[in-house]
Amino acid sequence: MTFSRLEDRRFVTGAGRYVSDWNFPGQRHAAFLRADRAHARIVSIDIEAARAMPGVRAVITAADTAAAGFRSLPCAAPIPGKGGSALLRPERPVLAADVVRFVGECVVCVVADTAIAAQDAVEAIIVEYEDLPVVMTAEAAVAAGAPQLHPAIPGNVAIEFETGDPLAVAAAFEGAAHVVSLDLHNQRVVGSPMEPKGCLARHDPETGDYFVHVCTQGTTGMRAQLVATTGIPDEHVHIVAEDVGGGFGLRFNAYPEYSAIMLAARLTGAPVRWVASRSEVFLSDEHARGVSSRGEVALDAEGNFLAFRFNFLNDMGAYIAPTGPVVAVLSIRACLAGVYRVPAAVANVRLALTNSVPMAAYRGAGRPVISYMIERLVDQAATELGIDPVELRRRNLIPPTAMPWKTVNGLGYDSGDFPAVLDKALGLADWHGFAARRAEASARGHLRGIGLATFIESTGGGASPDEVEARFGDHGEITIHAVSHSHGQSHETAYAELLAAVLGLPRERFRLRNGDPAVRLAGNPTGGSRTMHGVGSALRVLADDIIAKGRELAARALEAASADIEFHDGVFRISGTDRSVSLDTLIERHAGGPERVFDTRSSARTGSTFPNGCHVAEVEINPATGVVSIERYTAVDDAGNLLNPTIVAGQMHGAIVQGAGQVLGEHAIYDLETGQFLTGSFMDYAMPKAVNVHGLVIADHPVPTPTNVLGVKGVGEAGVTGSLPALMNAILEALRPVGVTHFDMPATPARVWGAIGAARSGEGRRFAHA
Amino acid sequence: MYEFTYIRPGSLPEAAALLASNEGAKPLSGGMTLIPTLKQRLSQPSHLVDITALAALKGIAVVDGRLEIGAATRHIEVATSSVVRQSLPALAALAAGIGDPQVRNRGTMGGSVANNDPAADYPSAVLALGATVHTDRRAIAAEDFFQGMFATALEPGELIVRISFPLAERAAYAKFPHPASGYAMTGVFIAVVGGAVRVAVTGAGPGVFRWTQAETALQARFESAAIADLEVDATDLNADIHAPAAYRANLVRVMALRALETILTSSKGQ
Repeated sequence: MTFSRLEDRRFVTGAGRYVSDWNFPGQRHAAFLRADRAHARIVSIDIEAARAMPGVRAVITAADTAAAGFRSLPCAAPIPGKGGSALLRPERPVLAADVVRFVGECVVCVVADTAIAAQDAVEAIIVEYEDLPVVMTAEAAVAAGAPQLHPAIPGNVAIEFETGDPLAVAAAFEGAAHVVSLDLHNQRVVGSPMEPKGCLARHDPETGDYFVHVCTQGTTGMRAQLVATTGIPDEHVHIVAEDVGGGFGLRFNAYPEYSAIMLAARLTGAPVRWVASRSEVFLSDEHARGVSSRGEVALDAEGNFLAFRFNFLNDMGAYIAPTGPVVAVLSIRACLAGVYRVPAAVANVRLALTNSVPMAAYRGAGRPVISYMIERLVDQAATELGIDPVELRRRNLIPPTAMPWKTVNGLGYDSGDFPAVLDKALGLADWHGFAARRAEASARGHLRGIGLATFIESTGGGASPDEVEARFGDHGEITIHAVSHSHGQSHETAYAELLAAVLGLPRERFRLRNGDPAVRLAGNPTGGSRTMHGVGSALRVLADDIIAKGRELAARALEAASADIEFHDGVFRISGTDRSVSLDTLIERHAGGPERVFDTRSSARTGSTFPNGCHVAEVEINPATGVVSIERYTAVDDAGNLLNPTIVAGQMHGAIVQGAGQVLGEHAIYDLETGQFLTGSFMDYAMPKAVNVHGLVIADHPVPTPTNVLGVKGVGEAGVTGSLPALMNAILEALRPVGVTHFDMPATPARVWGAIGAARSGEGRRFAHA
Repeated sequence: MYEFTYIRPGSLPEAAALLASNEGAKPLSGGMTLIPTLKQRLSQPSHLVDITALAALKGIAVVDGRLEIGAATRHIEVATSSVVRQSLPALAALAAGIGDPQVRNRGTMGGSVANNDPAADYPSAVLALGATVHTDRRAIAAEDFFQGMFATALEPGELIVRISFPLAERAAYAKFPHPASGYAMTGVFIAVVGGAVRVAVTGAGPGVFRWTQAETALQARFESAAIADLEVDATDLNADIHAPAAYRANLVRVMALRALETILTSSKGQ
């Protein structure tokens, strides 16, 4: 059997190695006591009964983490706030010391001989709480008199951020022929990777070294956060990871459990493993989105955009996760005006704290928030002004001749042909044939709608250069080390194919190690769709460095000047002769031995890229049940050069369906009175299913970026960034004929049916977030 | 999961004795509800008495004009049984739509009926068809068996042995699966047995119930127009984070219409 990806045989045969696949002699197991209430002062914790239970090796509380010198979990990189203000950083202990602030927060860690014994002991712990008032929405958190979560954050607002020119925007609105505004809510969701988070820690008392086997998107970020929390020197913390079963952003940060497990390993003198249950994933994995927003657009009489004004109020949860503010703020700054040439724009973002799971990155990481706002607003303007939504977009798109484009807030897009992308999508989607399809659906009693989104993303530039290293083995295998960790993105295949193409070697020669503690590299975790332009560029440099070494060796072997040696398809040849030697031969002769001459470390530094696209969605709604069915979906994306179109299509499929999940039903719901989490399992949290999506058409319109040697742009998240607005525009377009004028996600059957009923009965035409 | 003792008895009396002599013992059939409950530590039985291998609880047969199905019969067996498909195809179709393949390969009819989850599929068929639940102690009419959310007429330790279904002249089931769980958000089973129309609803309320208004209307004329405009009283229906009661009331009518449509368009009248 052949597999199109190098990693597929391992995955298909169950040979992948995840956290729960690691086992060591004498291994113990941990379990956590979690807060069962959303906001309370801890009066006392009685662990005596738990400590005395059979098989229990340690019961760890905040007193122990304090004794170990643990500090607050890291918060976020400084972000400049409005008027010179700074991000206010709440303390976040590994184990709650005085106050619990969300249901699911870790309070006590128990280590025992078996996982069941640890769970039994958790139930024997008695915590006395004194309940505090809860605040469950960002709107409530910023209201006067709201319960306060952190002494360091008066008013529960961690930062107010502004980008753009508010005065220019105000002036533009003054003189506008039309002003259109729209309030939207982008609901809280749970990322739900297949592999629950987990951690196995080993401690060597001789050397002081910790080996931490953990779900990670990249060892550098994970290690830095664990070092910051535990105070253990960087050289003693070794992250080990092989396969990681999904992440989407929520395997970037070091969860508090990981530091606790490290301490558990030291205190018990044994390897300690903990793997979350699915219930724990729901209760304590970072959540995402949860943004209330208002958008306004000013237009002249011809429908030209004069200005955008946006206000975002983000529910950040009970603490500020390291990636939270980046997601909430920087994506909006980078894509403030989308694909439009608008002379003025401003966005104000406030980050509010509530008694809920902290918010962080999740596929798209802020871009689906700004793209959803802009593209819904553009459709709203088209509707209110009676202009065709395609025409309104076409009138305002940045033309390709204007590239590189300086954005309204002083940033830039390097490349792109937005009108061509739009045209290609409209053609593939048969936009103009929609009327006939709608009529046919109408004859069956169904509501059919079409919608589009023209959007742009900014991919991660990276905090450091990306280093890669090739190590040549004794049997011809070439092991590639890199930081950016695959948690489903096909790095193994993509890297191997890139190197194979340049070096003229079969791709099977290459293997990938992301999280090998023996090889410490600088680099960035996977995130922001940046791996191919970041690590990919470094691999291109690596290949050139290997060829350069080969050229010197070939010159010696062929007794020629290296300047006369050309390299093509894996073979060095003296120009104009038939005298040659293959790279493979040179590797065989020289790679071994103590010198390891072919072993090479290379690096590259790349900035953000700006993938963009046009997605067209077509849905049908059965008004009897409110069920929304995605009948056609066309995605045309400019991701620059595509190295492996199958992998790109897979990324698009996954991201589009992930967006469809949020549009159709995913919704993390807390009880507003008690702060209890109501959607804590897949019985209540509606993941998208294969039957929800039909007719995906994926196409590309590459405009290679000049900002990296490969000409690639990011591709991992564009599907979500496009699908949220495209799908919701299509759904609202289907509902407008029955009188619905507004609809917030999610478009669950009951909510859609309710909106249709309310509009038809004249009760209301706006169906906003509850 | 807490520790428990697993026992696989060799006979029905032995199973009954084990359940009677251990207060904390619970019967284990397919375990589709019980095992998740154990995993969540929401239940702490002393013993699990596995009754799935008992011969007395097995078998599918038509006897004296009734379809008899052993309690330990798995959904997949009901769905694919030629006997069921010929004698009561609506029941086979219902079984084919329960849960997913994993659930159908493990879950049993007796387990589902004994559990009486308000969103389970089988109770609607048992009630609409007017089936009889035979236990190791007695025979219980469907009308008397279901007593609201997770409540039945079963006494402690009493085990369902088989369920006996009259062969309907016409029958069909339609359900609206919950978008997350796949359980029936509302399911409606319509049956015509001995000339009498019976309509049973699952998922919408706290327990399976008969929609008598629709029964009367369909008894008068067996066509869609008879129920298309019936209002369903939402007063006692379920309301939760997924849907208000009014939505489930609407689904009762819509699913009834779908079930009726299946009956009316089916070539065999089933």
